[in-house]
Amino acid sequence: MSASEVLASLLLLTGGLFYLAGTVGLLRFPDVYSRLHALTKADNLGLLLVCSGLSLLAGTWRAAALLATIWLLGLLAATVSAHLIARHARAHDAAGDKR
Amino acid sequence: MNLAVDMLIGAGLLVLAWQTISGRSLFRGIVLFVVFGLTMALAWARMGAPDLALAEAAIGAGVTGALMLVAFRRLVRIRPDQCAQPALRRSRLAVPVAVLAGGLVGVIGLAVVAVERDPALAGLAVTEALTDSGLGNPITGVLLLYRNLDTLLEVAVLLAAFLAARTVFGEDESRPPTPARREVPLVGALLAIIVPLTILIATHLLLAGSREPGGAFQAGAVLAASGVLLVLAGRLQPATALSAGPAFGLTLGLMLFSLVGLAVMAFGDPLLALPGLWAVYLIETAMMLSIAMTLVLLFAGASGLRRSGP
Amino acid sequence: MIDLLLPALIIFLLLNLAAGMVRVARGPTAADRMLSALLFGSTTVAILLILAEWMGEAALRNVALLFVMLAAIVSLAFFGMPRDDADDGDEP
Repeated sequence: MSASEVLASLLLLTGGLFYLAGTVGLLRFPDVYSRLHALTKADNLGLLLVCSGLSLLAGTWRAAALLATIWLLGLLAATVSAHLIARHARAHDAAGDKR
Repeated sequence: MNLAVDMLIGAGLLVLAWQTISGRSLFRGIVLFVVFGLTMALAWARMGAPDLALAEAAIGAGVTGALMLVAFRRLVRIRPDQCAQPALRRSRLAVPVAVLAGGLVGVIGLAVVAVERDPALAGLAVTEALTDSGLGNPITGVLLLYRNLDTLLEVAVLLAAFLAARTVFGEDESRPPTPARREVPLVGALLAIIVPLTILIATHLLLAGSREPGGAFQAGAVLAASGVLLVLAGRLQPATALSAGPAFGLTLGLMLFSLVGLAVMAFGDPLLALPGLWAVYLIETAMMLSIAMTLVLLFAGASGLRRSGP
Repeated sequence: MIDLLLPALIIFLLLNLAAGMVRVARGPTAADRMLSALLFGSTTVAILLILAEWMGEAALRNVALLFVMLAAIVSLAFFGMPRDDADDGDEP
């Protein structure tokens, strides 16, 4: 097992842990806004670590560039989604509507 | 390990399917349906069908999920009582239908298990013939060279679906025009990044579709997703009149495919025998545009679209 | 070793998703359910990427790219854009 494989395994495992942290946050945190934090932040860090680990394993620049693009798009999607969901939740809290 | 992954995905699909239709609340069902689509893509990936996974990703993430949510929003407005209703009454036919369907799946499954694997001669012959044609992706090759009539008719069916749906759009004229929507921060930035990117990816899927997974249907669905995004953000507004541009886009695939397919007969080739790789690219491009246009118009529930906003 | 780690990680992430399902079931608000859909989206992307490496199927990276590119559409549809009716949360 080469040095890059060891590093990749470490990155992948850490990434998995961040995903776990995100899920635990989603399940355990008390309200929508804190759950939002748990999920969008932890998951994106997890995705970064998984992408880095996989780029090392794939070993081609093309794959690495694609993985980096995927991560950046993931950040964008999470940012916009978190914003929209939080806005929606706030609107409903303000209206006292718990649908 | 392989088996464990596959069993987990399979079990997940079954549970999700059951939960989606068991209908404790309508909104929950919609979310579960979106999740079901994601899991289905994983299943296609595991079955070695990346073409289907691509289609599932584009249609599931880009069109159907959004369609259901928008429909739910409209339902909340017009029939609030229906959304709050906790459980839908089960039809008396449900159990017999389920038993029959289960039996059918079982019989087909047993038949597939019992079938002896012949050396797939037809498959080998097709793969060999396709290498000569220059199409590296067997799926695109089979769709356009061996099942070309089916593919042509699929495009026709899509057009027919739009025309059929159009008869219902008429009711919408009584609907008050959508109020001007205010901009939400970040959405403009999202559009500025995602829309050009979808065009790039759709083009890539179309061109790469001759060699690797991809093709007109996937590319069209991706393009449609960017149209859906623009409709959702209010940059494209439904219009009642079908203007020349969309009408051209809707029919382009069918027209070009039939035209090329007929024109080859003048040179003594059989109907729909494509004369070369250039024709494949030409027809795939036309089909991509038609598929995207049809899906966006169906999503918007309108005969046409007009631009609005910045 | 890597050949064992990748499927193990996939199984781990799938179990993670199964746990996340609890939030879809429990809610309580629509926003919570939407959040779980987000979790599913980002985890599915990771699983697809790992599958691509494990199965040696590069096209699965494109599938992941599509999912991540289109992930915001569902949130946008969920929120709709604020209209001048009850679900607009802005101060006037």
